[in-house]
Amino acid sequence: MNIVKIKDVKNELVVEVLQKGGLVIMPTETLYGAFVDATNPQAVEKLTKYKARPFGKPYSVAVLDQKMAEEYVKLNEIAKNLYKNFLPGPLTVVSQGKHRVAIGVESETGTLGIRIPDYTFVLDIVKKFGKPITATSANANCKKRPYKISDILDNLSERQKSLIDLIVDAGELPRNEPSTVIDTTLDDVAILRQGVVKLNSENFILSMSSENTQNFAKELWQKYEIHTGSRAIVFALDGPMGAGKTVFTKGLAKAMGIKEEITSPTYDLEHSYNTLPNTYYLIHIDAWRMENSKELQGINFAKKITDKSIIAIEWADRVSDEIRKYSEDAIIVWVKINYGKKENERNLTWDIV
Amino acid sequence: MKILAIDTSCDETAAAVTENETVVSNVIWSQASLHAKFGGVVPSLAQRQHEERIDWVINRALKNAKTQMINVDAIAVTVGPGLGIALGVGINKAKDLAKKYKLLIIPINHVESHLLSPLAQSKTNTNFSHNKYFPAYGLVVSGGNTLFVYIKGVGEYEVLAQTVDDALGEALDKAARMLGLGYPGGAVLEKFAKQGKANSYPLPIPMIGQEKRMEFSYSGLKTALWRLVEKEKQEGLNKEIIANLATSYQNVAFEHIIRVLNYYLSHNLLPNTNYLFLGGGVGANTLLRKKLRVLLKSYNLKLITPYSKRLYGDNAAMVGVSAYLKNKNTKVINYKIEEIDRKPDLNINQDI
Repeated sequence: MNIVKIKDVKNELVVEVLQKGGLVIMPTETLYGAFVDATNPQAVEKLTKYKARPFGKPYSVAVLDQKMAEEYVKLNEIAKNLYKNFLPGPLTVVSQGKHRVAIGVESETGTLGIRIPDYTFVLDIVKKFGKPITATSANANCKKRPYKISDILDNLSERQKSLIDLIVDAGELPRNEPSTVIDTTLDDVAILRQGVVKLNSENFILSMSSENTQNFAKELWQKYEIHTGSRAIVFALDGPMGAGKTVFTKGLAKAMGIKEEITSPTYDLEHSYNTLPNTYYLIHIDAWRMENSKELQGINFAKKITDKSIIAIEWADRVSDEIRKYSEDAIIVWVKINYGKKENERNLTWDIV
Repeated sequence: MKILAIDTSCDETAAAVTENETVVSNVIWSQASLHAKFGGVVPSLAQRQHEERIDWVINRALKNAKTQMINVDAIAVTVGPGLGIALGVGINKAKDLAKKYKLLIIPINHVESHLLSPLAQSKTNTNFSHNKYFPAYGLVVSGGNTLFVYIKGVGEYEVLAQTVDDALGEALDKAARMLGLGYPGGAVLEKFAKQGKANSYPLPIPMIGQEKRMEFSYSGLKTALWRLVEKEKQEGLNKEIIANLATSYQNVAFEHIIRVLNYYLSHNLLPNTNYLFLGGGVGANTLLRKKLRVLLKSYNLKLITPYSKRLYGDNAAMVGVSAYLKNKNTKVINYKIEEIDRKPDLNINQDI
């Protein structure tokens, strides 16, 4: 593993490592990314090992421009519009792939996410390299968002570290959101991850499976994780019976590093879980059996806030008055989960009040 | 050994007097009627109600047993799992009494006591030996738990399957609420289910084909029912539709348990194991017991259930019996009063 400062690195060196099937960590306009040749199966396999990802989770790729993109995906009118208005920029556009990248890069349904980073250094590399490179965040699956090199290395095993061939260090990056991900292959354009680029005024994504919902919880956690220790963080979950509030909490717990199984707290009203090592403490509350917001006081909600706890509360709408009282002392993330059009679809929206 | 037992783990304030395995009195003051007005549990109210009722319930248990505190040998109290502030009421009362009468105090795991509840006896039987039942399988189905275990002996459990989301009792209560049958509605749901046609609605059996994962899951079934109810609501719900939905739902919910148990028993049936213990509130459901008996018959196993309906749901008699059994089977532990504390997230194998 070779770490080079960005001002000292020669583009030819990076291109050479990529050509040999190597794994390069580089900065982008959002966060540090892990890059390999997206057309080289061995390189992609190496990346999957590095990320410790379950098989079947696709990668988006970085290209130079729309022309290069069209060699790998079919762009429909919506996609072309998005390219015109938002790219280069923090947006990933998912289109129907042409199956010209290595196995495991496109999704199981053959779609491929394309990104044109608004970051000259990476664009220069792609230009010299002449092929798309994977553009995934450099953290391992479910680990902290990488804004500096130590965020990455501190959370990797020795084995994972040994897979890195080159790190381009640009110091600490500004804390930008990951790219917005938009799927243009569905009947309705769907946002799969919400970053800075917004198509409408509210924060909205479409989940197509419970894995998607868990992944969304992970994204939200990574967004607000920085406040742990300084303020309480409350995920106030609202949605009809069976919409996936516990599923969201499972994803949150996983992202926090909790190994225990998260089960419904309906009966006991609250469950608590420790992370290993004991960095965080998740309190999972269910207000389904509560009829008015005063009842939240009955389980010492105020103390949980002053203890700066991390709290997920299901059926939060039932006790919303009480939760809102703490908007000064806590980060309160209101998450709405609603049934979508198709059986497995859920519309997820969130807001900070 | 005469034990005064106390359980305030959730909605019920309960006290009992037991003599070895025998239940002498078993008093349960349920908050269900109070909560019915509110439609749910009211935690602060729950704590206050436990506090207001605990003395009355304990005195009643002693009176029904025709005994007094001075004749009691030990106090057993539930320390978890459950609602922290509610558990605290029972624990504090137990500590006060233990100090006042200089008695041994035995902290008990609520789920373990459900598991052992079938061993409780109605009459003194000097020939009774609980050890002849072990090793055995155990199933606890309640509002907060769905747990299938292998019981090597008292205090030695191996978890074989448990829920990954909702407990069975909760799934039934929530279905009842969706169907407009109130809360807690599991028992009402059972009544309606008796009038409906089975399989009149195509509800998915949870995790069908994936039984080898040895997990219970009810969130998917709950979602499926929600969609059905929403659809039926557009045409208008009537008694017949509710009954049919209740029957189909209950049937599928139990079928899931049966399939997981069947998978396990068909692959791992252990020698010298002849019984399955059933405990917890949902155990009172006759359809579930019937389905279990049919399943167990093909494996030459016998279903052992509590002798009285009052031992299925939350109660203190099971706590007293468990305390006696634990005290007898494990080397006597001198629990220090000040070290006994509420353990809301206690699991079955955790040391107290």
